Amino acid sequence: MIHMGKSWLKYYIIKRLIYAIVIAWGIVSITFILVRIGPGSPADKYLANMSVKGQDVAQITAAIEARYGLDKPLWEQYANYMVNLFQGDWGWSFSTSMPVIDLIKTHWIYSFQLILLSTIFAAILGILIGVYSAVKKYSKIDYAATFLSFLGISIPNFWLGVMLILLFSVQLGWFKTYYDTTLPLFSWENLKALILPVITLGTGMLAGYVRYTRSAMLDNLNKGFVTTARAKGLPERTVIGKHVFRNALLPLFTIIMFDLGSIVFGGAYLTEIIFGIPGLGQISFKAIFADDYPVVVAVTLIGTFLVLIINLITDIAYTYLDPRIRYD
Amino acid sequence: MNKIKILIILLSIAVFLTGCAGTRVKQMTNDFIDGQYGGDAETLNLLLVADGTSFSYIGLTLDSLANYNNELEINLLCLAKDIEISPDGLVYTITIRDDLKWSDGSQVTAEDYVYTLNNLMFSDWLNYPYKDSWQEQVDGKAVFVTPKVVDNTTFTITHQTVDPEFVYTIYDLIPYPKYIAVKYEGDVEAFTRAPEFNNLTYTGNLGPYKFKEWIRNDRFVVERNPDYYLGKPVGAPYFDRYEVKLFGNSATMLAALEAGDITMCGIEPEKAAKFDRMKNINVYVLPTSGYTLIGYNHRANGWEGLKKTKVRQAISMSINKDLICKSIYLGLAEPAFSFIPVTSPWYTAESLNKYGIGHLCDKKEAAELFYQAGYGKKKADGSIEIRDENGKPLKLVLVTTTGGGLAEDIAFLVKQELGSIGVDVELKLVPWETLVRKYLMNKVPGTNQTLGQNNGPDAVSDEPWDMVLMAFSTDVMAPSGSGVFFTTNGGLNFFGYSNARIDELFEEVKTKEALDEGVRRKTYGEISRILSEEQPVDFLVFRLGVVGFQSNVRGVEPGISMGYNSYLWYFE
Repeated sequence: MIHMGKSWLKYYIIKRLIYAIVIAWGIVSITFILVRIGPGSPADKYLANMSVKGQDVAQITAAIEARYGLDKPLWEQYANYMVNLFQGDWGWSFSTSMPVIDLIKTHWIYSFQLILLSTIFAAILGILIGVYSAVKKYSKIDYAATFLSFLGISIPNFWLGVMLILLFSVQLGWFKTYYDTTLPLFSWENLKALILPVITLGTGMLAGYVRYTRSAMLDNLNKGFVTTARAKGLPERTVIGKHVFRNALLPLFTIIMFDLGSIVFGGAYLTEIIFGIPGLGQISFKAIFADDYPVVVAVTLIGTFLVLIINLITDIAYTYLDPRIRYD
Repeated sequence: MNKIKILIILLSIAVFLTGCAGTRVKQMTNDFIDGQYGGDAETLNLLLVADGTSFSYIGLTLDSLANYNNELEINLLCLAKDIEISPDGLVYTITIRDDLKWSDGSQVTAEDYVYTLNNLMFSDWLNYPYKDSWQEQVDGKAVFVTPKVVDNTTFTITHQTVDPEFVYTIYDLIPYPKYIAVKYEGDVEAFTRAPEFNNLTYTGNLGPYKFKEWIRNDRFVVERNPDYYLGKPVGAPYFDRYEVKLFGNSATMLAALEAGDITMCGIEPEKAAKFDRMKNINVYVLPTSGYTLIGYNHRANGWEGLKKTKVRQAISMSINKDLICKSIYLGLAEPAFSFIPVTSPWYTAESLNKYGIGHLCDKKEAAELFYQAGYGKKKADGSIEIRDENGKPLKLVLVTTTGGGLAEDIAFLVKQELGSIGVDVELKLVPWETLVRKYLMNKVPGTNQTLGQNNGPDAVSDEPWDMVLMAFSTDVMAPSGSGVFFTTNGGLNFFGYSNARIDELFEEVKTKEALDEGVRRKTYGEISRILSEEQPVDFLVFRLGVVGFQSNVRGVEPGISMGYNSYLWYFE
């Protein structure tokens, strides 16, 4: 039935993917040009070191720029980059001395696991608390949840992370003070090492989810179909779970998916910094300051695609969550 | 029923957390973890390196010819004996040890060193960043020195002109294996991406450790090298692994030190006392060659008064250096009066004008100097109001980098100090890139000049400024490198300062006469005296370094070259 009812879907997906390629090309080009026409040079950060040895700054700057082809005209740099990109060569990261693709392959997983676990943690707890808060509106628990939500939104990640480290790592000695990349990915030790980072990143998200869920639930609780369902004598659990919650889920789903999309765009940057997690957030921010354009452009490209794909998945998921929605 | 479920979940969480507590046992390993805060290295390909972190990583696996101990005496590493210098100061004879091996077991020879110099460092294709350290001016042209193989373990380097400090450049030399490098010769892209050089697979017995792995922005790990040529009797070094762990912020790095998760790290001045009280941490205070200064803009877009010595002296006289040391560095800095630190053999205190302390720290006298220079008017009560050339209250722009806590603190203190004599200071806190590009780099207006740090006396920066607060450091053994700041054509003289006598003196330290250490010391003394009198910049303080170690680390010799013997450190 679903397949029959969504025959337009294939064309819709193809159309969106073509859009995605055009948008990604545009964003990559803009990013490339912005990074390259910026006033900085990869040699700027070495100024202090050069001065110790009394070096000729102009010569060193020229040497570093020539080594990476940055002395060529901008159009030539752009053409070379795009040709290489189409041939599958993402370039060489000159601030880390490794192929860009290897750099991303090594580091994406650290961001991914952190954001995925934080989102799961925040979504499960946030939705549960939000639903409970809405159902028990103006109860003590609702007030407590509201208070904690505002607290969660207000507390800066940076401060919370450092406090958690000082309490649980330094004082109680329960966790290591920083994330250990030597731990096997699928192990309890790794999961344990991620507890504090997940709480740090997830707390702000959780607070948001509580507020969104509560608000969406309250919107739907007063709707006519709820009264009808109750009048029909459906159990309250069914009314809330099947009718109210399902309708409230739609906007929440969008927010959760976009949080997941922040894997590449440094959504976890501060948490990565605090816990020493070498994720894509850290990599891309440092690349920006090092004028390492191959990394900046590659991360932007992947991020753009990811957001576009997540957006597409979200739009398609809408049609399942709410069958009234069609894109044909 | 629901309550029972909730209880079970809570109990499970409690058991898990208790389990966490139980499993938190410090590993008893011989791994040394060196905590660092800041940027990661750029490359392990030695000849492409231009940053200090990369040098420090590579230094764990490759020794240079020699380094210095804390007394700044030469400590031979790959050298079999100290470098011999011919009486005319032109020929350097270098003899390396005969037990140095590459990873394939072949001997490291003089040919490897000479090949590295001639075919890599001096080549046009590689763009070695520090080329000019190996060049000299002959008939107005920059020419390379001439390396030559004498025998398997001996080579010479010949200069055409005398440079008494060139020997220190040679001490830092590290060779590439010719048998690998020839494969990449002439192709800069292939050389840049060469796996042998990027993974340090060739280092043989040349360093105390062997490369293990490098996770960018996370950690750099090396393993004990049992074949290390300096560790023959005992199989040095002691540590099984040496790991540099990078942190994104100092708060977590210091928490890691306190918790015992790392073995050592640097400590900020304000935290030093706290760590000094901890029983499990040994804190060492070290001299450094790093100093903080205020540079005065002598160029056309700086306030005209700054071109007058009396005005610069007046400003320097108003800024209390003891106050900076005490209130900002909490005693972990010493007043500076020259670019040469006290620890350098070329430091002379006698003739220095010590602006900013004692009788040369006097705000009343500072106002008097402004008045004498024509920038003030006397009131009926004899006090002086400082005014600019138009008779208006004087306002100066001080620019420095944002985000550096200490720099910002000093900038505010300077504003306060000058404010107390009636000079208003506008602070501009900008990112490093902006500081370099907009304020320091300059060019002659209306020309096609490329921006540079010193494009001649008529060049100016995009943005006007009067004072810049920056941090530099000096090579304690070869301070002549600092000529880039203070000579008329110096590559980093963005202040625009010019003094023919200073230019001459920096030339004199590179003459045959200066081979005599007494002459060189006198020349450096004269340079320091003139700079301290003319105040083209106000040398504020030399910073002291603070390092914390876990208390079970032994063998550390605190001093200016603390890490020179780090392969001998051990756990008790």
